[in-house]
Amino acid sequence: MCQKHSEISQNPSHFEGSAEELITATNIQVNYSEYTKGMKFFDPHIHMTSRTTDDYTALIDAGVVAIIEPAFWLGQPRTGLSSFKDYFSSLVGWERFRSSQFGIKHYCTIGLNSREANNESLADQVMELLPIFIYKEGVVGVGEIGFDDQTSAEEKYYRLQLELAKEANLPVQVHTPHRDKKKGTELSMSIALEHGLDPGMVIIDHNNEETVESVLEKGFWAAFTIYPFTKMGNERMVEIVKKYGSERIMVNSAADWGISDPLAVPKTAALMKIKGISENDIRLVTYQNAIDAFAQSGQIDITDFENPMIIDQSLKYNGNTVLRGGQIPRIEKNSIIIS
Amino acid sequence: MNYSSLLHDKILCQASSKEISWIETKANENLLSLQTAFVAAQRFIRKDIVQSVSPVNSVSFNNWTLDRLVRVYFLTKLDSSDKDSYINAIDTLFDTAENNEAVALISALPFLAYPENWMLRATNAVRSNVGPVFDAIAFENPFPKKHFSEPAWNQLVLKCIFNDKPINKIEGISERANQELADSISYLAHERWSARRNIPTQAWRLVSSFVNKEILKDIQYLFSSESESEKIAAALVCYESNFQKAKEELNRHADLKLKAETKAINWELLEN
Repeated sequence: MCQKHSEISQNPSHFEGSAEELITATNIQVNYSEYTKGMKFFDPHIHMTSRTTDDYTALIDAGVVAIIEPAFWLGQPRTGLSSFKDYFSSLVGWERFRSSQFGIKHYCTIGLNSREANNESLADQVMELLPIFIYKEGVVGVGEIGFDDQTSAEEKYYRLQLELAKEANLPVQVHTPHRDKKKGTELSMSIALEHGLDPGMVIIDHNNEETVESVLEKGFWAAFTIYPFTKMGNERMVEIVKKYGSERIMVNSAADWGISDPLAVPKTAALMKIKGISENDIRLVTYQNAIDAFAQSGQIDITDFENPMIIDQSLKYNGNTVLRGGQIPRIEKNSIIIS
Repeated sequence: MNYSSLLHDKILCQASSKEISWIETKANENLLSLQTAFVAAQRFIRKDIVQSVSPVNSVSFNNWTLDRLVRVYFLTKLDSSDKDSYINAIDTLFDTAENNEAVALISALPFLAYPENWMLRATNAVRSNVGPVFDAIAFENPFPKKHFSEPAWNQLVLKCIFNDKPINKIEGISERANQELADSISYLAHERWSARRNIPTQAWRLVSSFVNKEILKDIQYLFSSESESEKIAAALVCYESNFQKAKEELNRHADLKLKAETKAINWELLEN
């Protein structure tokens, strides 16, 4: 992604934003980690496939011990079933291993995203593929699914995947649209309820001030994506926690191939700390609530990341991979010598 | 050979009664049901390490988790009489495998019918960057020893050496040593020495039977090393070699020669 800011509004990966928010985003605290010492974080929405090893290093250094990578679109539409198969397979394969090399526990949600639901002939094939993947180890939900343009095709595959999640007894991670968000969010929730899903099994994602009240009122989990230049910056996130408390609220970065920040969760925790929110509330919205919501899949064993991860001996021998000898290799970024 | 009943016996000693009854309900069903059970095993079977059991078909089960053993057992229950549907079923599992499933699939290769059909799966596991998948083909797995061509075998061994992995855990490592591999080890050592690095010393055990004028220079270089283990490796190579000049070289290092003769030094000391 090398887009100009003016172009981002036409091709938003998750949110659109205003110029004022751009100014706010550039004034983020630099030494925020002072405020989060000893804290652990769980980012329930981050697309590591699109990120570098530098980001993994930064995540573990900032205290992010476990993550969920939802299946999404890759910035352009796939043209065949094999691309989906290989992508899902990489989420439970290579990316999971890559993450483990940095001591970060990697989970994923599997689903057909809303944009590609509009290619119906391919979408039908993907639907046949999904049952193979959703029962796999470490798949903690069906996601991210829901509405983008709010077309009838999107609705059709959203409904089919809700049924799938119900049958598998898995949580659902619902993407809410950029445009006409309030209506899309309401529609997503009413359809989930119509299909008999327990709202306690549904995580409504990308909330803002306009949607949160209704989501919480109906008993759903409310996830907030902190994404630069967006309608949901972390200062406003602090205000939301002040107003609504910490119950069923969680924060994520949704970092992807767009201009996004993989450290959104620890940075938001720091800001909450600075602004006087209790450590317990911070812990709930940046760690525990996400675990409680997605552990309903039966696929999260907190002992895998609660204690400092001991690199498995079998993982220590690493192929031509990223890690040698159980240590994260550090690159001295300012050194001209590469050895 | 009916591997599935042998594996079944192993499972009976390790699994709980609840686990066994789940396995029994799945093991006698059709192909699709076995496929599903293979994937679902992680939901019903613990990941405890199986206690030491005797090998089956040269597979020793060291550090295997119980779910891995059960998955391999399910694969041996697949009906192989219809070759196409058998191969299709296993191909689907490979193509959609999560990492632990991939490990189980690769571990199962020595037990599957139509071994020639799994060659690409096996060599792709050697190409894999996922550590546990590579380890599943490389270590305590008799499939490469029995079925790999010499180039494929050499690639497996070289990748182990390149990545500092323990070649002593490769089945057939001594029997399948060859001149080509010995030469490649020599070249790899030269590259490492240029970068002021070295190769794991036990790799030199694979050149003993193939010492020639060129490789002898490497051995002499090892004798001149400051590292004690490199000196030991050099002595062991010369001791094992029938190359006359290697014998003469060893005579110049009387203390090491004596240690080699009295078995005070051996390759096990150098295993990484």
